[in-house]
Amino acid sequence: MNTFFLVIGIGLCVLVFFVLYRVVFGPGVFNRIAAISAIGTKTLVIILIMGIIYNRIDMFVDISMVYALLNFIGTLAAAKYLEIGGEK
Amino acid sequence: MEVTLLIEAMDSSFRLLEDAKNQAVDIMNSAVRLTSETRIIEEKKLANIFKGAQSRRAVLQNVMATFVILFGFWVVLSGKFDLFHLTLGFICSLVISMLTHNLLFANVRVGDIKLTIIRFVRYLPWLIYQIFVSNFYVAYLVLSPKMPINPQIIRFKTKLESDISWVVLANSITLTPGTITMDIKDGEFYVHALAKKVADDLNAGEMEDRVAHIFMEADHIYVQDVLDVSPIFGVLRKGI
Amino acid sequence: MIRKTDDIIIRTVARILVPFIQIYALYVIMHGHYSPGGGFQGGVILGASIILLLITHGLVETTKKISERAIAIFSSIGVFIYAGIGVLCLLLYGNFLDYSKLSVILNVTPAEARSMGILGVEIGVSFTVMAIMISIFISISTTEDHSKYDKEHY
Repeated sequence: MNTFFLVIGIGLCVLVFFVLYRVVFGPGVFNRIAAISAIGTKTLVIILIMGIIYNRIDMFVDISMVYALLNFIGTLAAAKYLEIGGEK
Repeated sequence: MEVTLLIEAMDSSFRLLEDAKNQAVDIMNSAVRLTSETRIIEEKKLANIFKGAQSRRAVLQNVMATFVILFGFWVVLSGKFDLFHLTLGFICSLVISMLTHNLLFANVRVGDIKLTIIRFVRYLPWLIYQIFVSNFYVAYLVLSPKMPINPQIIRFKTKLESDISWVVLANSITLTPGTITMDIKDGEFYVHALAKKVADDLNAGEMEDRVAHIFMEADHIYVQDVLDVSPIFGVLRKGI
Repeated sequence: MIRKTDDIIIRTVARILVPFIQIYALYVIMHGHYSPGGGFQGGVILGASIILLLITHGLVETTKKISERAIAIFSSIGVFIYAGIGVLCLLLYGNFLDYSKLSVILNVTPAEARSMGILGVEIGVSFTVMAIMISIFISISTTEDHSKYDKEHY
């Protein structure tokens, strides 16, 4: 079972690099923000899979919740900054 | 000569009489106005007292409901049932429910919360099935070599009334692959759909009916409209 | 200059989410000696919940809940709790923050006194971290005096 989760985790890590392409080269700011948000979601799942592998799922659930929360607020703050950035 | 004098005297006496009548009417009117004003003030005072009592009761109910929910959440998180941790959880939930009682339960009609929760839980399996089905459809769209997508923005006026039901509908639309809620303005949803079939599914309005069933809201006729999306995509392609 | 958003989805989601974020932050603070987290992390999450309110509901509506004066007071109270527990240990013939000496006051075994002392210190740390985070966010995002703007929109 552990190898199964290991393979899934590595697969997700590879997928992160595909999304990273959008972050670096993506046209426009909105593509970048959406891509960063997607990377955050993938990282959350990777943290949970690490928790299963290390048999400490109770700890890693806490960490992943904080990660999801800060990801949400960060995306929201960036979007807000872009919304009112033009006014000055 | 005497006749004219007499007429003048009669005239002036009539004028005096009329003045007196006018003054009497004015006094009467002002008296009526005063009494009605005092009555309005009294009514307002009573209404304020009533509203104050009602709002105090509503605040108490909100605090209690928030406290119960937050304490349950604390127990689920903590998983420790000894006295020390339960006391800590009690104090923490009490403090937070007193601080944020008007956040969790705003615009909720009192009395139907239980039924709403039961109906919401029954709505979830249908939503998950819908997500499952449209996942396969979007995967087919993306993987087929011709890529038969037809992106469009649908605008429809919803029949839902409260903001919480709007949010539930909007998030259900966003969770379903292929459709994303862009904005809600005065009850009008702006939804981006990936293909015609997805948009037609949305326009059929089954999801909206089910959300209306959760929150017990009435039926309305709603207009549907498809916007021309090409200029927006042109802007997005150029980048900002 | 923090405007409130018109978007009803974000406003409603934030409104429902904030109490749960705060109870989660307190859970992280109180269980800091069993699971990951502690005073600093819990304080950051508490501050993030208020920042979420600031982003979505605007400055005026948030300062009705927690005023800038209260934030300043909180930031000093946290330091006071931390230093007070430390000095209390000094007064009981121990080292600074030597919690086991607190067992004389609390009437418990030294091990339990250590646990409770750490809990008190963490609460102090979390107060200060929360208040400083919020005040940094407010000072960055308000470049001018916000009181002269239209109260309806800001």
